[in-house]
Amino acid sequence: MRCSVCQVPVAEGKSVQQTVDQLHKKLEQLGGVKQGSFFVDCETYHTTGNASGQPSKLLYVMHNSETPLSCLALYEGGPYLTADANFDVLMVKLKSHFQNAKGHKVESRGARYRYCDFLVKLGTVTMSSSARGISVEVEYCACVVPGDCWNLMKEFMQSFLGSNAPEIPSVFTSKPEGLFAPADCMDTMSQYLELFSKVRKQQVLPGSSVR
Amino acid sequence: MSGSPAVRVSIESSCERQVQEVSLDGVETYVPPLSMSQNLAKLAQRIDFGQGSDSDEEDLNGESRESEWSKQNPDEEGPVKFQPCLWPWDSVRNNLRSALTEMCVLHDVLSIVKEKKYMALDPVSQDPTVAKAPQVFQLISKKKSLATAAQVLLKGAEKLSKSVAESQEQRRQRDFNAELLHLRSQWKLRKVGDKILGDLSYRSAGSLFTHHGTFEVIKNTDIDLDKKIPDDYCPLNVQIPSDLEGSAYIKVSIQKQAPDIGDLGTVNLFRRQPKARPGAQAWHSKLEAAQNVLLCKEIFAQLSREAVQIKSHIPHIVVKNQIISQPFPGLQLSISLCHSSVEKKNQRTSPDKTKPDDHLYVLEHNLHQLIREFHKQTLSSSVMPHPASVPFGPKRLRLAGPMAYDKAEISSLQPSDGLLEKIIKQAKHIFLRSRTARTIDCLASRIEDPQIQAHWSNINDVYESSVKVLITSQGYEQICKSIQLQLNIGVEQIRVVHRDGRVITLSHQEQELQDFLLSQMSQHQVHAVQQLAKVMGWHVLSFSNHVGLGAIESIGNASAITVASPNGEYAISVRNGPESGCKVLVQFPRCQAKDLPKSDVLQDGKWSHLRGPYKEVHWSRMEGRNFVYKMELLMAALTPCP
Repeated sequence: MRCSVCQVPVAEGKSVQQTVDQLHKKLEQLGGVKQGSFFVDCETYHTTGNASGQPSKLLYVMHNSETPLSCLALYEGGPYLTADANFDVLMVKLKSHFQNAKGHKVESRGARYRYCDFLVKLGTVTMSSSARGISVEVEYCACVVPGDCWNLMKEFMQSFLGSNAPEIPSVFTSKPEGLFAPADCMDTMSQYLELFSKVRKQQVLPGSSVR
Repeated sequence: MSGSPAVRVSIESSCERQVQEVSLDGVETYVPPLSMSQNLAKLAQRIDFGQGSDSDEEDLNGESRESEWSKQNPDEEGPVKFQPCLWPWDSVRNNLRSALTEMCVLHDVLSIVKEKKYMALDPVSQDPTVAKAPQVFQLISKKKSLATAAQVLLKGAEKLSKSVAESQEQRRQRDFNAELLHLRSQWKLRKVGDKILGDLSYRSAGSLFTHHGTFEVIKNTDIDLDKKIPDDYCPLNVQIPSDLEGSAYIKVSIQKQAPDIGDLGTVNLFRRQPKARPGAQAWHSKLEAAQNVLLCKEIFAQLSREAVQIKSHIPHIVVKNQIISQPFPGLQLSISLCHSSVEKKNQRTSPDKTKPDDHLYVLEHNLHQLIREFHKQTLSSSVMPHPASVPFGPKRLRLAGPMAYDKAEISSLQPSDGLLEKIIKQAKHIFLRSRTARTIDCLASRIEDPQIQAHWSNINDVYESSVKVLITSQGYEQICKSIQLQLNIGVEQIRVVHRDGRVITLSHQEQELQDFLLSQMSQHQVHAVQQLAKVMGWHVLSFSNHVGLGAIESIGNASAITVASPNGEYAISVRNGPESGCKVLVQFPRCQAKDLPKSDVLQDGKWSHLRGPYKEVHWSRMEGRNFVYKMELLMAALTPCP
């Protein structure tokens, strides 16, 4: 059920909103049915109290509207945690050890389309209420193993994204070959995390393109 | 004595007791000393009764005796000692001697009087005046003594009666206590002040209904134990709240829509009281009936609350003790609470028995089960124990966070349907199922060829049942079995899965199912011809399930098949439609047709063996029990023997 990918197509000469609308139209022409909205957000926490001059590790706490009762915590490339919604309250209680970097909250909100077995989520990535990019998440609900259906998904993405369709994400290539390794919501979240980090680094560019 | 050495003198008290025997090991056995009474007897034997203080003759003897005594023991310290011995016995001895004298005299007098020779007894005449006074005294004294005796007897009788009464009371109390213990083993009781109250509600089982459900236990011990105890006597009686009296049940029924809604809310049918189980106490059946009434009230309250709150496109009507909703157009589902109190039982004869009993008992039972499940959910043990940081809820819902369940999984965990919706769905399913069965049975009885068989599955759900429908021809079941339909009857739709893989969804209209089955039957005939051809060795030239030629059928499509005989001389064409019936044509070789115009184009004689004109068969006049049999005969007739 969970085999998804997300990537960011860059709009040239147009604003973020217009690109999103274009994609909406393309999907609707294809036959997709709008099924509500979605959002994914990510908050950054610094670990405090570091003795040596090592850079403090960043903890990312993410929420996904697909799993409304869960909270996901990730270290970049490190261990991952799936938790209850009470995890946010726990982070507040751990204020002394983890400090929230409020300016670094990244969100992606948008519409959710369903086309037969495919779920497509088109979202605008915003950071401190300024649109930074576009995220597209495609989920093929009929399959759990990413390796088996990657080609089908790529073809589907090419039909409405054109040349912007990405290659297979590193999350899936790193899975052990041959063993049954079903995709998880954690894979989705780590892909979103990569995307959001890219967007954060790209701070300067979108501002210039809007003007 | 001085000067000589001191002589040791040993003094030993003389053995007071005589040695009876000395055993072999030196132990001496003494004669046991005399006891007090033995000693007294021994001393008394020494008294000489012959010596009296008033008899002179024996004085001398006594004196001499005394002197003899004193002489015999000179070294004894006291003849003086003997004197005090005699003194206590002296008076005794004197009294006894005088008594003996008197007795002898009396004996002599009586013996002389008996002879009546020398002495006679003569009553002393009494003065009557003197005699009266003693009589009155006698009477008074007798009365007094009798009164005293009577009093004593009365006191005793009183005590006895009191004790009997107490024991009876205790027995009654014991019976009451035993009965109370029995009651307590099955129902919850508590003592409030001097009253014993009980609880017959389902609150401890998880119900949230606000009725108190309290009953009171009353003693019933004022019967006379002397009279015969009636057979159904019980020392304990229960008083149930007045609104729970009588018996109740929930009636669920489906009827055609009533044209007028004037008589809504007047459903109040009675059912025969179930006979009390023998051996069950009166209070037991009373309490059970009251509890049933309470449960029915709770079910109805929940249903009416949901009927009012839940929005549906056709609103439910709640009138008095009835809830009416429309599961299908033209159909009405009514759920009513029928509560009859005991007094009215005798008034109603039974006018309602004439109506057909369309009470769906299954749904009533399901309602009871659903409300009990609801109770269990509120009291579910899967709720406790739970981690301190998590709110109340089923355990699987708690895991939704850590396991990252998505929305579909979460919604499947949460209960969505209320009681009313569930029961309406069940009623719809029951109705649809019964209508499907009726349709199939109607068709089966109406149409003999081909035959339709229905195999209903034993395992089904409250919302889903399934039936396998086979269309066969009698006698050719093994050959013609290509039409097999699996019908899955749901809540609102019927899904038909054909043997060849097609899936068709039919709505609840029974006409659709009937039309579909009729079209399948007509297709079956043509399929049967195809199978028969295989068996008989005929070749299938063409076959079409849905022909586009000929008259348009209103139900489904006509099907057609053309088969050729093994040697190619004859061909049979069949066209079968659900409405138009079947049409069979046979194609003959040209040489057999008489009315063909001769032509010069055909030079060779072999061309006359080709098949030419068609001729229709009068199928109704054909011999044979059913279509396939007729077809077999036709094929056999057209195949010449070698």
